[in-house]
Amino acid sequence: MRKPRRQARFFWFTVFPTLLLVLFLVVYPTIKGFIMSFYDYTIFTFWNPHFVGLRNYKAIFSDEDFYQALWNTIVWVAGSVTFQFLLGFGLALLMWKPFKGRGIYAGLVFYPWAISGFAIGLVWSWLLNGTYGVVNDILLRLNIVEYPIHFLSDPDWAMFSVILINVWYGIPFFAIMILAALQSIPRSVIEAAKIDGAGPARRLFSIVIPYIKPVILSTLLLRVIWVMNFPDIIYGTTRGGPAGATDILPVYMINTVFYENDYSKAAATGVIVLGILLAYTVIYMKVTSFKELEL
Amino acid sequence: MKIAAKVIKLVLLSMYLIFAVFPVLWIFLTSIKPPYEVYTFPVKYLPSHISFENYKKLFTYSDFGKYFLNSVVVASLSSLISTFFAMLAGYSLSRSKEKKVYYIVLFLFFAQMIPAYLVMIPQYVMFSRFHLIDKLIGVIIVYSGIGASFSTIMARGFFARIPKELEEAAMIDGCNRWQALFKVIIPLILPGISAVFSFSFVNSWNEVFVASLFLNNSEKYTVPVALYSFISKAGVNWGFLSAGLVVALVPTIIIFAFAQKYIVEGLTQGATKF
Amino acid sequence: MRKSLVVAFLLAFVFFAFAETVLNMVEVFTWPERTKVLKDIIKKFEAEHSGVKINLISPPYETAYQKVYTMISTKQPLDIVEVGDWSLSSLAAMGGLENLEPYIKNWDSVKNFLPGLLDAARTYKNTAYLIPNAVYVKTLYIRSDVLAKYGIKEAPKTMLEMYGMARYITDPRKGQYGFNFRGKGFPTDFIDLVVTSFFDDIDPNNMYLTKDGKIIWSDPRAKLGLELYVRLFKDTAPKDAINWGFSEQVNSFSSGIAPILFQDPDTLGILRSNLPDSAFKTAPLPVGPSGKAYPHFGFSGFGIVSYSKHKDLAWEFIKFFHRPDNLAYWCKNYGVLPPDKTLYYNDPFFSSEKYTGWKYMFNHPEKYQFTKQPIWNKNWGKWNELQEKTMQKVLLGKMSVDEVLKEWTKFWEEAGLK
Repeated sequence: MRKPRRQARFFWFTVFPTLLLVLFLVVYPTIKGFIMSFYDYTIFTFWNPHFVGLRNYKAIFSDEDFYQALWNTIVWVAGSVTFQFLLGFGLALLMWKPFKGRGIYAGLVFYPWAISGFAIGLVWSWLLNGTYGVVNDILLRLNIVEYPIHFLSDPDWAMFSVILINVWYGIPFFAIMILAALQSIPRSVIEAAKIDGAGPARRLFSIVIPYIKPVILSTLLLRVIWVMNFPDIIYGTTRGGPAGATDILPVYMINTVFYENDYSKAAATGVIVLGILLAYTVIYMKVTSFKELEL
Repeated sequence: MKIAAKVIKLVLLSMYLIFAVFPVLWIFLTSIKPPYEVYTFPVKYLPSHISFENYKKLFTYSDFGKYFLNSVVVASLSSLISTFFAMLAGYSLSRSKEKKVYYIVLFLFFAQMIPAYLVMIPQYVMFSRFHLIDKLIGVIIVYSGIGASFSTIMARGFFARIPKELEEAAMIDGCNRWQALFKVIIPLILPGISAVFSFSFVNSWNEVFVASLFLNNSEKYTVPVALYSFISKAGVNWGFLSAGLVVALVPTIIIFAFAQKYIVEGLTQGATKF
Repeated sequence: MRKSLVVAFLLAFVFFAFAETVLNMVEVFTWPERTKVLKDIIKKFEAEHSGVKINLISPPYETAYQKVYTMISTKQPLDIVEVGDWSLSSLAAMGGLENLEPYIKNWDSVKNFLPGLLDAARTYKNTAYLIPNAVYVKTLYIRSDVLAKYGIKEAPKTMLEMYGMARYITDPRKGQYGFNFRGKGFPTDFIDLVVTSFFDDIDPNNMYLTKDGKIIWSDPRAKLGLELYVRLFKDTAPKDAINWGFSEQVNSFSSGIAPILFQDPDTLGILRSNLPDSAFKTAPLPVGPSGKAYPHFGFSGFGIVSYSKHKDLAWEFIKFFHRPDNLAYWCKNYGVLPPDKTLYYNDPFFSSEKYTGWKYMFNHPEKYQFTKQPIWNKNWGKWNELQEKTMQKVLLGKMSVDEVLKEWTKFWEEAGLK
């Protein structure tokens, strides 16, 4: 009888600090934010807000720009994560077999992961500038294009460009994860397949991918959540423009604060984003019958 | 056939290298240009001579040394706190199969989904009540909180790989649970711990929105806030900014160089199992 | 009453000779060179008032307004706050600013203010909540050296002449464009200037109304104006300009890519450090087909925070700042127009050639009728967002001029303009 109680005490003693931190710094403010979304917290009313029910939500759902931002968010997340994944996977495969200088190579190409998203936005907005940008300069000099491409100011290019930047930023994360998973595949499994006469493509699809599937699935789940909550690059380059072409929900939310000083409408947007993510996670887990949370 | 494959591989790897390195290289080249060559048009790739003028200005016109120190303090303390807590919780959560564990993990997973912008204003209001605005400790606490949930999920993945028998053996040898944890288990998953630490260090080191909202006086600025303030009404001061960015990269490069192997190992171990 | 307060204050100083009083102050238009000028004045103030320290907060420019709002909302220690015209109503309406009328009553310097300026600052409930420390009026900047290459020696006098000139020199293959277009980051002033120049009956108290009370956006002349504005973009500006904010404007003017620019006087300070003096000039704003143009006073100023514990000392600083020597130092080095009209006569600096544009406009009220944007309206912030976004749609051909004008009219009908 004494032992389990001591065990329980140990359990709570170790888990408590983290729980407290998260409750206090994340959950409590989230509840506050949730409540806030039913009030009219604007700069005019900050000291005496009053309850307005669903007004903020109604305002959002009757705003055409919201639907544009919603669609953009889907494009942004799907585009970014797909290409981050495919290219990251490719890179990991190329780096799988040891070669001379692989350590240094890894250090150089994985490094973008450690730079701040905001700084990346700024740097790339300089590189991609349509008038004096470096990328255009190179394209012009190589005679690939005749006129500079307006990467960030042409609405047909803008979403492509911000996704390109995000892909550049996100490849390392996938490559790191997948590379390490590849290295955990026992040599003997691959050798056995070789002896059986399986070519590279078959080895990839029938042995490698099934083996590292858990890593792929969990990384995809995480990345979608993070990329969706990641306005830094777009904020640092186009701020949602031109004409809303790159306006994703988190940027829509920041702009609500920035232009309208309407904190409660921004909070309502945040609640909607959270709802979308929750729904996504539940569906994802159902579809992939992903049981990692069950231990 | 084999040679062709090798050549293709080499070409692909080199192409990716150029793609990955170019932006950082460009910033570095800009930072060592003399200030008047920063904006030349048409673009000039190499400086006519190497100049450290931008760096000199960075440390004399702005108090960059101070900001750097603040950032070191904030990022190390906050990631130490969240890593330590994550270590404790991650261990316990990996050792029990009760229903409550499932719910706690689910809860932590949910917590790291919450958009930072939903909580920022309520956090600010709360912190202003505790007089924690414009204090480094306030930012340290926020960062620890932001990092805690994912760090715990990650740490739990590492502990799950250590067989239970190990600490049971240690406990039979007379260790209590704490001793077993710190003397036997933790040394085994140091790679994982350093991955957790590096991960939250990098995140705290780069965070700009909370810091620029919570810190007022320039003597309290962290590096990202200082970099942000080089964008004024008059535009982006690229001479300053490029030098600042290069300096800001140093700590993460050091961490990356030392811990890269562990980060790679750790991240996968952590990710395969939530 | 006030005198006795000052005496009490001085006594308090003597009494607390060793206890420093700290005034917290926040600026919003952060820019390193400007911060330095402000700090110089603060140092001087501290030297003359022993025991007083002013702690200046200079948040990064882009976040500065949000910072001020959150600081005041949560009652962070703050005494003096710099407020721009566009945020004045919000801060005053929430109760964050002290009514300054009682202070102004006993202050002589206010008589020297430019006519109409204090009036413009009484945006909210006709009460002064700030004292303007800088005046911003848009004028025309031209790169005289670049234009000379094309044989153009005079600044354009009308909007149409400007369009012709800009179009004449535009040659994308050479990287040469004409009008320095503002696509993002509050392009309101630029759109308004071009459109209103087609009117001859703008209400002097409300730029968006005609004298007989009609919303200008529903008037056929607005269509002509907006069409010209779109032409300026399509025919004389790089496509990229849809993404140009202030800094891109300054950069492309400095590099000569787009040599015809509407801007505020503080641009002068930046241009002086980027360009030789002979490379650029200012000129009065081009007038429209109506023969008129409608500039307005933009301003920023210092206010006192309503919950400040050192209001009198804060006022002391504001007065100190407005002493002619300090004000002149500020305006010269920061490059804004002084709110104090005597400086224009007494200080040779402000009669230099670079101020021609503004002087001419101030002296020709028959052509340049100053008016006010409805910045007191609660929806002003929303308006900026809407106008920027819908304007971009028009420029990209995703919306027609007629549609956008309809939407703008509807917006102001619902927001109420009076």
